[in-house]
Amino acid sequence: MRLERVLWQVAAVGMALLFVAPLVWVLTNSLRPVGLPPPRTLEWFPQPIAWANYAEIFRIIPLGRQIGNSLLVSTIGAVITLITASWAGFALAQLPNRVRQPLVGLAIVLMMIPSTVVWLPRYVMFTAVGLIDSYAALVVPALMGTKSLYALMFYWTFRRVPLELFESARLDGAGALLIWRRIALPLALPTALAVLLLTFNHYWSDFVDPLLFLKSERRYTLAVGLRMLQQMDVTNWSLLLAAVVVMTAPVVLVYLVIQHFIRDEVSLSRLMKR
Amino acid sequence: MLILVPGLLTVILAFMEYDALSAPTWNGLQNFVTIFRREIFWIAVRNSLLFVGAAAPLQLVGALGLALLLHPQRPGVRQYRIAAYLPSVIPDVAYALIWLWIFNPLYGPLNKVLGWVGIPGPAWLVDRETALLALVLMACFRIGEGMLVLIAARQGMPPEYFHAAALDGGNRWQLLRFITLPLLAPWLLLLLIRDILLSAQSNFTSVYMMTEGGPGYATTMLPYLIYDEAFSHFRIGHAASMLLIMFMGIGVLLWLLYKTVGGWGYADEV
Repeated sequence: MRLERVLWQVAAVGMALLFVAPLVWVLTNSLRPVGLPPPRTLEWFPQPIAWANYAEIFRIIPLGRQIGNSLLVSTIGAVITLITASWAGFALAQLPNRVRQPLVGLAIVLMMIPSTVVWLPRYVMFTAVGLIDSYAALVVPALMGTKSLYALMFYWTFRRVPLELFESARLDGAGALLIWRRIALPLALPTALAVLLLTFNHYWSDFVDPLLFLKSERRYTLAVGLRMLQQMDVTNWSLLLAAVVVMTAPVVLVYLVIQHFIRDEVSLSRLMKR
Repeated sequence: MLILVPGLLTVILAFMEYDALSAPTWNGLQNFVTIFRREIFWIAVRNSLLFVGAAAPLQLVGALGLALLLHPQRPGVRQYRIAAYLPSVIPDVAYALIWLWIFNPLYGPLNKVLGWVGIPGPAWLVDRETALLALVLMACFRIGEGMLVLIAARQGMPPEYFHAAALDGGNRWQLLRFITLPLLAPWLLLLLIRDILLSAQSNFTSVYMMTEGGPGYATTMLPYLIYDEAFSHFRIGHAASMLLIMFMGIGVLLWLLYKTVGGWGYADEV
């Protein structure tokens, strides 16, 4: 038994290293001084450490502006999604069974349909209504709900709230919006936070939408900025990797925060059992 | 409020239908005839099939392996799971750049590691023989979600099954073969379907950033070709037709899969 546990730890550590080591390399190589000949062997610690790389990437592309754009888009997208998804989940939880079952099924099917489908219709529609090259093109779809998973997450949360609670509020004369804001949403705070953070990550990481819908450079988000930097000089790996770190770090941090809020296994098992 | 949800879902559905139907209905079948005559389309179909055929099963096996390793509650297991999940949260663009660097034949870390072991590393993305393989390889590390699903499924199994079988003298392999895998079968099928759907189209960003379809069209797959048609050549009609074909292709693929697997392993207990 003891030997087995040791072996298990060895295997698990080996696996973890395999998944994490490349990221550590990225970090160390992003600190490698520019202009040094490429290393002959694997370097774990660059000599000397070039913090200046990070300042440099802000100088050669408008990285600050792009981070700002990304933050703006991600925040707006996340907030809109939070509102629509929680409305949808709230409504789903109160529907009679007969109507709800097919809708939940539909939402699960929609979850499986990926984003390639919407490239063309969105492009055609945005062109028609003149949204091309605006931030709105990136976040407007959220108004109609983009990821049914988030609506489902809210639905599962609201379903555990006794219906009488909403009923009594309604008898007291509260409208649906008031009930949603005062009773439902506060009860679903962990879910709300998780959805907020997940959506933030989604918009922050999104590359295809800004690539398709943004034309002018000053509106570019960080994801497109990375592509810009790559096209400028594809061989300057220290700087490219520094930009990769700038882009990745917030997402990883947000992910670690989410880890504290949801026990991922539990929520996912609920997802798969529906 | 009660109208909002159906409305919302219908709008999403309308998106799908609009997309699939608009171009073909207006242009008749001419689009399809043109596409079928172009060699590049068939190259992209072939590459897509190869990619999906390799990536989806490998991702499933990888996720299963991780889940079997990381399902017991032992010290540190949470950290290990986070480690295994990390590649799945990295933004696509950053992920593509990281692997572009890793695959660099001259100073990328992968070939250096291979050099230690004494294997001369191939040129990866620069070589048309290995470029597609490299893309498959990098896809194999993004299996965090599959892992979590399978861990959840594995933890949902009653431990009594395993105790009873162990008492009857079943060894580790037999437990896996006759209890764990059959009970996991529905989840495995579901994940395989999902992996096929996703890997068929999620390769756009990596192809765009890393190879632009090259070398010599070796990594031109349908999503990239569709993008190229629609947004570099502005043949949106053609692109829409290709998109439709791609979806029908995926549909057929999933139907075949369902037919083949249908008789096997739908355990009632789960």
